[in-house]
Amino acid sequence: MSWLYDWWIALAKALGLSAELQYPFVARGVVAILLLAPLLGGLSHLVVARRLAFFSTTLGQAALTGLVIGVAAGQPLDDTYASILGFCLLVAIVMVYVRRQATLPPDTVIGVFMAFTLGLGICLLVAATRRFNIHQIEAVMFGSVLTLTDHDLVLVLALGALLGAATAFAYNAILADSLSPPIARARRVPTTAVDYGFVVIVTIAITVSLKVIGALLVEAMVVVPAAAARNVARSTRSYLVWSMVIALVAGLGGLVISTVWRVPTGGAIVLALSICFFITLPLGRWRSGSPDRS
Amino acid sequence: MSESALELDHVGVRRDGRAVLEDISLEINASTIHVVIGPNGAGKSTLLAAVLGQIAFSGTIRQRLPAGAAIGYVPQSFVADRTLPITIGEFLALSRQRWPVCLGLRPAARAKTAELLAKVGLSGMERRRLGELSGGELRRVLIANAIDPVPALLLCDEPATGLDPDAVAQLDALLCELRDQHHTTIVMVSHDRAQVRRIANRVTLIDRTVKDTGQPAKVLERAGDVAT
Repeated sequence: MSWLYDWWIALAKALGLSAELQYPFVARGVVAILLLAPLLGGLSHLVVARRLAFFSTTLGQAALTGLVIGVAAGQPLDDTYASILGFCLLVAIVMVYVRRQATLPPDTVIGVFMAFTLGLGICLLVAATRRFNIHQIEAVMFGSVLTLTDHDLVLVLALGALLGAATAFAYNAILADSLSPPIARARRVPTTAVDYGFVVIVTIAITVSLKVIGALLVEAMVVVPAAAARNVARSTRSYLVWSMVIALVAGLGGLVISTVWRVPTGGAIVLALSICFFITLPLGRWRSGSPDRS
Repeated sequence: MSESALELDHVGVRRDGRAVLEDISLEINASTIHVVIGPNGAGKSTLLAAVLGQIAFSGTIRQRLPAGAAIGYVPQSFVADRTLPITIGEFLALSRQRWPVCLGLRPAARAKTAELLAKVGLSGMERRRLGELSGGELRRVLIANAIDPVPALLLCDEPATGLDPDAVAQLDALLCELRDQHHTTIVMVSHDRAQVRRIANRVTLIDRTVKDTGQPAKVLERAGDVAT
């Protein structure tokens, strides 16, 4: 990967960027954003179409709990993917199962799971901080490019390609089920498989993004790009493109803010995403031609 | 006497411990338009959901359709998020191409979409957003979606709701064409008595259970104001 870092450093120098932005860890961050932003931005338009925003928030909380479980079980702090992914997948699949069986509204069921995972995480955090300094866990909670390794980037690349291919393969079925499950079922779309399959894709995508964006903020990356894109998109094609572009711009912008002002990467990216949303909001109202519409 | 396409034998549906449908036994002949009428809450939409296998039911439902035959469904309500940026063309292409619609419509799907929209009087509206449509236009899009591939069984839940008289006449012609030329069996829930008289071959009045079934004019006469 050294060629990539050399390329970034040469580019940063050529563009006259400040010295902070020429560090190798920033190069790793740029590569991570270039890989993650299209993936999360692309997924975000389906997450919002399927009304899984609150669900994604819960997955972020579950990731924190998964991290603490891994640390408490003796996993090294810089390699906790297994416990995070395992716990998040368990929570996601059980959450979908209960949501499908329960007569309660979906947001109520998801709220119960969020409370459970957060409560469990906080209790276990006490156990984990006996072995590690809380500041080491903060990196996973809020995201930091400082802790990124080449191994992380290879993982993001491989899983990103796999998840992108799986989503493209099932895209029409996922969107048909999002629009109207009864019509999708009548057209023989395997709606149960779509329901479970899509949350597995989102769960894996969230897990591989944690080091950059952080457990507490990762849901923003799978919700806000699509929310902002809705303000300007007119078709699914432009919805996808805008979601990816906004995720990319906010990701790189957040990385620059984070490096220059030394604030957590995740927080800076989420701030940049929010700015994108508020910029596109009046644009959408103007394009709809009904400025008074709430 | 036509052979049956659909047989319901002592079908029942319970929801929250309450019987929504009870002991429904019905035979629906192939290549006919069979209209289900009844007061609000009678279980008409639930009956269609049971036929589609979308809810749990007791009893037996036998579909006597050719292997792999398509089933079309026009739901009563379409609760899609109206702010979702999806065009009519993309919506119709969802089940007509493997290629992800977000990457563009394939020529075959584009041609089929145009053809379907022409059939329901919405020619040239492929690029309109689904969320911008009126209730009647949206219903016509759902009808277009349900008639391709030509279904062996078409289930329509209040398909004329929100349609103007011209569009209702166009819908009647479309349903009769499906029945007469493609031998589609149509089960339709309707409150529109005039439409029932115009196109139905048989009518069943239900109110949780079958109250009456037979020739349209006779069933409507016996029903009086019950089914309005």
